[in-house]
Amino acid sequence: MLFLIELIHQIYFIMAAVFALLLIRGLFKRNTRKTLIYDIVYAYSIIPFLLRALHIK
Amino acid sequence: MENDNNIINKIIIFAIVLVLAFLGGREFYEIRHFKQSIVVSDSFTKRFMLSDYFEGIKGTWADTPVYLYDSGEPGGSMLLLGGTHPYEPATMLAAYIAAENISVKKGKVYIIPEANYSAMTLGVLGNAFPNYFTLDTEWGSKKFRIGDRGANPLDQWPDPFTYVHYPSGQNLAYQDIRNLNRTYPGRPDGALMERLAYAIMELIRNESIDLYVDLHEASLMYPVVSTYVAHDRSLDICMMASMTLSAEQFPMNCEASPKGLRGLSHREVGDFSDTLAVLMETAEPFIDRVAGRITEDLMINGKDEFLQTASEAGLLYCQPAYDINFGAPIQYRIGRHLSGTVEVIKWMNEFFPEKELIVELPIFADLMEKGAGYFLHNPEKAIPEKLFYN
Repeated sequence: MLFLIELIHQIYFIMAAVFALLLIRGLFKRNTRKTLIYDIVYAYSIIPFLLRALHIK
Repeated sequence: MENDNNIINKIIIFAIVLVLAFLGGREFYEIRHFKQSIVVSDSFTKRFMLSDYFEGIKGTWADTPVYLYDSGEPGGSMLLLGGTHPYEPATMLAAYIAAENISVKKGKVYIIPEANYSAMTLGVLGNAFPNYFTLDTEWGSKKFRIGDRGANPLDQWPDPFTYVHYPSGQNLAYQDIRNLNRTYPGRPDGALMERLAYAIMELIRNESIDLYVDLHEASLMYPVVSTYVAHDRSLDICMMASMTLSAEQFPMNCEASPKGLRGLSHREVGDFSDTLAVLMETAEPFIDRVAGRITEDLMINGKDEFLQTASEAGLLYCQPAYDINFGAPIQYRIGRHLSGTVEVIKWMNEFFPEKELIVELPIFADLMEKGAGYFLHNPEKAIPEKLFYN
């Protein structure tokens, strides 16, 4: 059970990193919603995932 | 050309966001890695980590220092817990002041100032809670962090949809699986907070602790405030202590630990060990839902006009009745905890002479006269053997 708990816990960090990377890709390369405001939204949304992936917050 | 401009814009925005992430992240990092100094009293014997009693928390953020004060004279033993809920900082301060000033004449005392160390490493979400508060001392000011109620999600996550308490099987609120005071008696292969509770139980069982005192603060609108909550076996000593305190120092209630409410220390620690389990609550305006601006000043002085209105409407449970002219200053709350602890020790000695524990601590009158900062010693002037960092 301990192993499973730790595995699930670590998967969440990996997921945070994957989402951060997806958002970075979305910021620089996307086919819809290409205006500046969406650039800002994409960029801003990266922060929580980045901080979680880096074990800061 | 337009494409190039777009790329440059995106890079600039991304760079700004990275700067913002750095600034925000630095604050979070500082809270998580903040170190609290402690200058132990002359009765100090040794410091060890809680993981010495249970390896399952070793190397995790739940592992926390334990301070032992052994008189060398056979007698009773006590475990004093502060910081079970770190957003109730008078509990941590009461434990620190005890650790810095205690004198043990008979028996031994274990003190854990930051019982839920993981929860100490993050601030409270929402309401613009401050991250720190500062106390004035005779040698300058000393800074303390204000933690959260439950463990840091960096250390225990995700929360389940339903938290099923072990071993009762009772369904509790999902976020309470990160709440140390809902995970007793814990289990060795459970979530981090269950393992932390198990480690504390192992300390109690292995050292045959006679008296367990868990310090808490409560919102003024919560009926269980200004009170002892006592396990069945400790009900007599708490009743006597509450009567004595009410007659001599300040109003203090006493309640029996409900049998149907599982996971709480006053119930499970008593049920799963031979110790006399006691939980104490004092009034903390800082966490009241109706309080106005949540500021450092509110944490220190506890003065709030909305609470005054609630008090006049008869909505508060604290005793004595809330009065904005006095508020609920931190030295008052710490003093209540220390006097409350001394009083249960006194009555344990009366009821169980074979468990006699003789200690001296600053009490309510001392705190009210001299303030909390008076009892915190200067780490810069401490001899290295007595200086530690939590």
